[in-house]
Amino acid sequence: MRRIPWGILLALLAGTGLGLVYSWGVSPTRVVDSEPVALRADFKDHYRSAIAAAYASTGNLPRAQARLSLLGDANPIEALNAQAQRMLASGQSFDEADQVAALASALGQNGDVVSSPPPTTENTNNTVSAPTSTLPPPPPEAPVQLTETPDAVETQPVISASTPRPTRTPIPTLSSPFALTGQETVCDTNLPDGLLQVLVLNSNRRQMPGIEIVITWDGGGENFFTGLKPELGNGYADYVMTPNTIYAVQLRLGSDIASRLTTPTCQTPDGATFFGGIKLTFQQP
Amino acid sequence: MPRLLKFIIPFALGIALGLLYGWVIDPVDFFDLTPDTLRADYKADYVLMTSEAFRVEQDPALAARRLAIFGSQSPSAIAADGLAYARANGFADSDIVLMQELVTALQAWRPDGGIP
Repeated sequence: MRRIPWGILLALLAGTGLGLVYSWGVSPTRVVDSEPVALRADFKDHYRSAIAAAYASTGNLPRAQARLSLLGDANPIEALNAQAQRMLASGQSFDEADQVAALASALGQNGDVVSSPPPTTENTNNTVSAPTSTLPPPPPEAPVQLTETPDAVETQPVISASTPRPTRTPIPTLSSPFALTGQETVCDTNLPDGLLQVLVLNSNRRQMPGIEIVITWDGGGENFFTGLKPELGNGYADYVMTPNTIYAVQLRLGSDIASRLTTPTCQTPDGATFFGGIKLTFQQP
Repeated sequence: MPRLLKFIIPFALGIALGLLYGWVIDPVDFFDLTPDTLRADYKADYVLMTSEAFRVEQDPALAARRLAIFGSQSPSAIAADGLAYARANGFADSDIVLMQELVTALQAWRPDGGIP
């Protein structure tokens, strides 16, 4: 029996190891010709924004769908909705977030959850999946089909662990200011003390997500948005007031001002007192 | 000397095998990439998206900001590259017109808002 050439095998293994270290670690293959699915998350957001902006301009939904499929999102509608909320929360342009939400809404209206896998083949005509034919005319400005969403119930607990996301309810137009149509004191021991609930409705009494609410008090102010707790309603938003502070609330888009708001004192049936809340309803005339 | 060769030859062969495997057979999988690594057709389509949006928005600063994700090149150069690709690869005439409009607008645009 021949002797195993351990020296040669060892040299071969050492060489292979060195080659792998160099090719994987020191000088890996340079990345060129990558696909959108491999982009970093923030760049995917940019990509979605561009798709939404293009869709807002052309109204070409099939093209937008083809482009979205390149990003490999499991559920493009959810991805768009989540991005719209992130954009609003991070103070980015309302118009751009609106475009993203509008594309999600259009996909939802279309009843189409595009979750096509990312393309794995080279494009024979080198033009990505997006069709390059003449763009079809934008769809008519017909009102979109709306899905009624239940109003927020005052006594619902306001604890949400789910990721906030906008819904398919269309983003409102900026046409008319909002009127303060309701202001109630809420005495409910199940709710947090000083809870200010705001409900924003359009003229058809449908809840509107993504509406910026401005709350101010002596020496301060803050903004918050509807739709961040979709389980309580798309047009719902809330804020916890500090007792003995006087607040004023209005919508950024223009509305009546709910002024001199302060945490009410309520009583339980057995006579104990606690801080209640306030519920405001704004509606487009 | 032959004893040394007995070591060097398998060692070199091993290196070659390692490189072949690491570069060709199973190269490193990349993710979290930047847009400048995108294939040319995807870049051109991104320029087209920006052009489509620009047609309505007429905001060269916003278009330039969208194109800035591709890195250090000027926005007009990025748009021009996309246009060149579109022309060379049979994009629809209507798309090429849009891209041309964007290139023209970006060439005339200055970040400080002035007109050259």
